[in-house]
Amino acid sequence: MNSPSRDEILSRLKSARKIAPTERPAAPVLSERALNSGQMLERFTAELAAQTGTTYTAKGVQDARRILSEIAAAEGFKKVITAGIDTHGVDIKSWGREGAVNVLTHEELKDRESLREAAFTADAGITFADFAVAETGTIGIVFDKDQPRLASIAPPVHIAIVPVEKLYPVYEDVIEKVFADKNKIPGHFAFITGPSATADIQAIGFKGMHGPVKVMVIFIVNGEK
Amino acid sequence: MKVSLFIPCTVDLMMPEIGVAVYKLLSRLGAEPVYHANQTCCGQPLYNAGYREQAKRAAKHFIEVFGEDDIIVSPSGSCVSMVKHHYPELLCDETSWYNRAFELSGRIFEFSQFVVDILCVTDVGASFSGKVTYHESCHIYRALGISHHPKKLIAAVKGTQLVEMSNATACCGFGGEFSVGFPEISEAMVKDKAENFLNTGADVLVLNEPGCLLNINGYLHRNYPQKRAMHLASFLYENSVEVNHA
Amino acid sequence: MHNRVDKFREIASREMQNELSRAFLLMLSLGAPIMRQIGMSSFPDPDCAEAYGRAIRAEAIERMPELLEEFEKNAEASGAKVIWAKDAGEANAAVLKIAKERNISYVTKGKSMVTEETGLNEHLIENGVDVFESDLGEVITQMLGRLPFHIVGPALNVPPGEISDIFLKKGIIKEPTDIFLKKGIIKEPTENPVELGRAARVFLREKFRRLEMGIVGVNMAVAETGTIINVENEGNIRMNKSSPKTLVAIMSLEKVVPTMTDALHMARILSRNCTGQKLTGYVSMDTGPKKPGEIDGPEELFIIIVDNGRSEIYRDVKVREILRCIRCGACLNTCPVYSKIGGYPYGFSYSGPMGQIINPMLLGIGSTADLYRACTLCGACKNICPAGIDHPSLLLEYRARQKGQGNMPVFERMTATAASVAMASGSLWSIGAKCARPLLNSFAKDGYIKNMPLVAKGWFACRDLRAMPRKTFREMWKELNKSSADKKESI
Repeated sequence: MNSPSRDEILSRLKSARKIAPTERPAAPVLSERALNSGQMLERFTAELAAQTGTTYTAKGVQDARRILSEIAAAEGFKKVITAGIDTHGVDIKSWGREGAVNVLTHEELKDRESLREAAFTADAGITFADFAVAETGTIGIVFDKDQPRLASIAPPVHIAIVPVEKLYPVYEDVIEKVFADKNKIPGHFAFITGPSATADIQAIGFKGMHGPVKVMVIFIVNGEK
Repeated sequence: MKVSLFIPCTVDLMMPEIGVAVYKLLSRLGAEPVYHANQTCCGQPLYNAGYREQAKRAAKHFIEVFGEDDIIVSPSGSCVSMVKHHYPELLCDETSWYNRAFELSGRIFEFSQFVVDILCVTDVGASFSGKVTYHESCHIYRALGISHHPKKLIAAVKGTQLVEMSNATACCGFGGEFSVGFPEISEAMVKDKAENFLNTGADVLVLNEPGCLLNINGYLHRNYPQKRAMHLASFLYENSVEVNHA
Repeated sequence: MHNRVDKFREIASREMQNELSRAFLLMLSLGAPIMRQIGMSSFPDPDCAEAYGRAIRAEAIERMPELLEEFEKNAEASGAKVIWAKDAGEANAAVLKIAKERNISYVTKGKSMVTEETGLNEHLIENGVDVFESDLGEVITQMLGRLPFHIVGPALNVPPGEISDIFLKKGIIKEPTDIFLKKGIIKEPTENPVELGRAARVFLREKFRRLEMGIVGVNMAVAETGTIINVENEGNIRMNKSSPKTLVAIMSLEKVVPTMTDALHMARILSRNCTGQKLTGYVSMDTGPKKPGEIDGPEELFIIIVDNGRSEIYRDVKVREILRCIRCGACLNTCPVYSKIGGYPYGFSYSGPMGQIINPMLLGIGSTADLYRACTLCGACKNICPAGIDHPSLLLEYRARQKGQGNMPVFERMTATAASVAMASGSLWSIGAKCARPLLNSFAKDGYIKNMPLVAKGWFACRDLRAMPRKTFREMWKELNKSSADKKESI
């Protein structure tokens, strides 16, 4: 929006002496692109483990449900929040009923207030992740009307479910897709690597500051719906 | 080959024995050192303080004195850096001076770099039985990118054991006016350097920057008088065969 | 922010006597560069990665005006509202207006150095809007009312006991409902950093939950897409970007980056240089406010672009490169001066070598002499800088500007000129040496000077100076040359 300040700042900048930028040197090689799918999964697992995150591979949606149940039992989930009913083919509501875990999907929450209430009191957030990156054990999530933001930041545990076909070697491969169409760029996109952390007190690092304390990633391999 | 000696002000005034060592060594190694008696100072103290107009005067004199020499050698990395890196910039608005400065910058060498790279000598015929450690002066290590040359020369001295000091590349706290203007911080830095030296158990600390030498030796003399630092040229020269036999 | 640069020497002196600060700084100066080195060596070709990052920042700054326009166009197309603030006052006023219009009673803030520079927090609080910093280091610094000790970890040096005390005072430690931990939240003072962090988490959680307006900084503003990118580990920025209806993102001019691919490379570079990580825990990218139908995220995204002296810096071509800085803090960790005195003496939101180059241009050369002179020009900062900034050159430029300002005391100008005249003449130099010798050596005893009145007192506080020898090298040369000519065969 135009304003006197804007004009003033831009005119000062534009009337400054221009110095043509020197040509860039060669861009670095993204060596992870040489990894095959098996190696990518290995690399992802090792990187995420170094951040205290756990990687699971589920052979299909049933296996994914079984893994979710194991995690729920180990962590003692009573209430979890999730995006929609369909989390990459995992019928999360029925899973909840089976395991006596109260599953709130954001479709059932009518507004921001009820979402906040649910997200800040849930034991875990189960999200579907759109991408994963082997380079650093990172998941990439597009946030839109099917994927609320708070589910992956407010609860103390974050479980992300990803089809293994969405595992890419480097961030560039993901960004290329997310930002491909200028008119369809999501309002919010995040790369998430492990749980939240800090080292602000005496440089002593620990996990679990404002975001999740634990992160688990479940890859669905040979996904069947 | 004729080599023109650039003896920095610190050496000329306070530590002339370093100049003597450079002269004698280079003579023995086959270079023919000459010395222009009207040389003075590269102007770095003025430049660093911000007196650019005054520094230009010193720079122009330097260029006049050394302008015809094919090779210039100096036992001070900071002075070499001043001439190579800062003279062209200092004189950038006077085209002919700039050109002369720029052209000169390719002909000036730090002492150890000259001996190893141009004379192709690492063994100068010295011997010293004892432990030696080396301080990597800021201008030599970072501004000139010289690190292997001095260490090669030291390691080639017969009987010498070269040991590495911790934080060898950390600044000693001299910085010219800094040592006088910010004495507490400077003291903390030179104290660390001295302690790191002592912790190596080395008999002598060798370095090839006169400013660092004044600083570190000044501190050692006050606090650890039995220990000392030496300029590389002095270390090599004083431990050479002919001197020992003299 | 009110600056305390005039207290540089006093605070430096005080800090050097603080045992805890010294111990911590020693650990930082040894450990942080190693972490960075490990991070950088995880690149297949670290030199290539570094050179590329430097090239990106150089280009981003050279093209800054056009990139800012491109960024604004794309950000507005995505629904963000872009506000330009020419100085601190305008920036603060813009944020306050947004808050007042929406009846905001409090905001939470992600870490933003430019808002510390403008003094945003004070302005909001004075005008009835409460401010809660949410980055743990900033929480502590805000509560203690201190300057940042380090640009990345502003409270790294604060002993846990002190944090515990201030947390108790401010009610962070009491007995709130525990919605997170299985065991009860601490009710008593603790020196355990993890428990202190947990207490801060619980305290801020309530603030996030009811949040109506969040404020964040910006690490990168991508011109190609109009996207703002934030890197963090704690998750507080994502909280600010998710929970409230209104989000204000504040950036200074130089945050622009040309493309998303450039931003990714800089994210790798920034993470490694900052904390040694390959990537921070969260890299969040916002292009406009939330889209229709989304349940959370901001309905309004304001992006405030702050000048506050930077367009002048840009016009000043000799110092333009300051704007390349990516606020990684690597220069602090490698600076021998910073590692003795810590962040407080620099007196402003920016400390260490990057503070020494930025503060004089923001606050004026005239009042910041200690900042550009408290440096040995060792070059360690320039060596390590991922943005390719030549700190020593800039400091030399400031020194020259200070002396060139035409208000040098006459005596000083005369002395400098006299010295330069002596340096321009071999014979004058010689005469000068002959005169100086008896004067200097009158203070010597047993060949060493231990003290001199007035001049160079600082030297002699901890050092001696060997007396000036009887002859300069120049004076020795004649005999040297003659005797070597005689002995030519034996050499």
